[in-house]
Amino acid sequence: MANKRKRHRVLPGFGLSMGYTLIYLSLIVLIPIAFLFLKASTLSLADFWETVTDDRVVASYKLTIYTSLIAALVNAVFGTLIAWVLVRYDFYGKRIIDALVDLPFALPTAVAGIALTTIYAPNGWIGQYFEAMGIKVAYTPLGIMVALTFIGLPFVVRSVQPVLQDLDRQYEEAASTLGASSTQIFVKIILPAIFPAILTGFALAFARALGEYGSVVFISGNMPMKTEIVPLLIITKLEQFNYAGAAAIAVVMLVFSFVLLFLINFWQWRTTKKYQMN
Amino acid sequence: MGITIKDVSKAFGNFPAVNNVNLEIPTGDFVALLGPSGSGKTTLLRLIAGLEGLDTGGIFFNDKDYTYKTIKERNVGFVFQNYALFKHMTIFDNIAFGLKVRPRKTRPSKKEIADKVNELLKLVQLEQLANRYPSQLSGGQRQRIALARALAVEPEVLLLDEPFGALDAKVRQELRHWLREIHQRLNITTIFVTHDQEEALEMADTVVVMNQGKIEQIGSPEEVYQKPANAFVYSFLGRVNEFRDTEASAAISYIRPHEIVLRKISQGNSILSEVSHIHIIGSTVRVELRRQDTGALFEAEMSIEQYQNMTPIKRGDILFAEFKNIIVFDHHLENKLDHGGKIGIRNSLKSKLI
Repeated sequence: MANKRKRHRVLPGFGLSMGYTLIYLSLIVLIPIAFLFLKASTLSLADFWETVTDDRVVASYKLTIYTSLIAALVNAVFGTLIAWVLVRYDFYGKRIIDALVDLPFALPTAVAGIALTTIYAPNGWIGQYFEAMGIKVAYTPLGIMVALTFIGLPFVVRSVQPVLQDLDRQYEEAASTLGASSTQIFVKIILPAIFPAILTGFALAFARALGEYGSVVFISGNMPMKTEIVPLLIITKLEQFNYAGAAAIAVVMLVFSFVLLFLINFWQWRTTKKYQMN
Repeated sequence: MGITIKDVSKAFGNFPAVNNVNLEIPTGDFVALLGPSGSGKTTLLRLIAGLEGLDTGGIFFNDKDYTYKTIKERNVGFVFQNYALFKHMTIFDNIAFGLKVRPRKTRPSKKEIADKVNELLKLVQLEQLANRYPSQLSGGQRQRIALARALAVEPEVLLLDEPFGALDAKVRQELRHWLREIHQRLNITTIFVTHDQEEALEMADTVVVMNQGKIEQIGSPEEVYQKPANAFVYSFLGRVNEFRDTEASAAISYIRPHEIVLRKISQGNSILSEVSHIHIIGSTVRVELRRQDTGALFEAEMSIEQYQNMTPIKRGDILFAEFKNIIVFDHHLENKLDHGGKIGIRNSLKSKLI
């Protein structure tokens, strides 16, 4: 029968691996998130609306999103720079620096938070110099950005590095024989090639920052309306046994993050398609 | 623009890629750098372009010292082996790239750039492809676009690295003629790298044969083929039979397959040989034979007409082979000359008939 005809593959096991993927994703991701929505739906629409539009909650949404965005942008720029240095130059201790990049992944976030707070506090090792200039780092949104930048660092570096490694030098050489300056070569030749990878890293760092709790609570100072992030508000609600309220805040955050990530991925898909047309 | 290369050396680590090379290229010449892989031909080309920095020596364009000029200042057009077309740009933007990156003062207007690009597209006969992306083009088309892009900046020297290496035989043949034509029309000093002796002999005005970082011989295609300076040039420029003389073990005699005449009856000075294989390749026929005296295998070549005019031969037949033009290079003498320079190598070239 015609519809029985299977496409020949070198490695068999599509059914098995696809089934596993679906079950795995369901157990780990979809079912817990579904329960989140279920829990939130125990609230009446009015209660739900009141919970998520509370001034303190709205302020925390804004704070979380804009600090995460800035931290991810900082990482996109400096992560690319680090990847560049690691790929293009040979120097003593390169392997150590390469390993250091992953450290924010390995370190418990609370440890990172406490360490950063100690250093950036007004009387801290680095914080005192900022204090002298009239800039407060710890216990302000700036401090939150520092923590979020720290935990998001590896994403951009690790997504850009392999792409940069595979980039053929011939394109740069071709551009230079055509008279392009170093800046022009970077902007017109290299950047378009690594841009999708930068976007991927940016999206990952951004997503990670949106959900970050451990490192931020120490450095933010947790002042209502000023330095309260969304995860903290959720924890607060949980501590008051207001599970439905916590779920409601989480749902809004989830939907918002999903839309943003979807848009970034769409953008990335479009640029990739443009540059790698076959 | 004429190019002078003086005592240029370049090593990668301990490997001397280009070793004390001297070369003079007059304006408008069409030069082939010919050699096996690892002979330093591509490195020499990249040194001329400024893509590689040299260790010692100097490079002069029209007698002006260009040794330490940047790639930009040299104003050379370079066509890469794999074309290196910018994937994310259309064909139009690829060709316009060299003009668009100019500083504002010297940059032509949009209209002028468009005119120039269209003119170049016409030159490479691909006007209809302006809005495509490189990935939508065939290998031969990409090669032409790469050339158009290099020509857009009006270079005074055109450098091509294995320009037809990645193309199939038919397209390669077409592009050879086409490139020759373009050279005749524009008369830019052109240097191309190739490992294909046929390509070098067919296209170039001057062939530079390289081996192990050194130049073995410089000459017109006819010169290098008819009067090879040494055994390497002789054997690199075509099919060749090698015979070790038993009497003088240092000397190796060479003969090209087409210089061997096969007969069924003895005539003149010929050697009894047994046919071991017959290959018919289009218009030529190659016959593999074994000498009855020494047992050495060799190859004779004739045209299909000659083959058909002979009484039919088959495997196992015994034929008389006459070696028309045996060449002996004295290896002792050559080794000495390797240190001393090239003068006099030709004196060691002896031709003898067995």
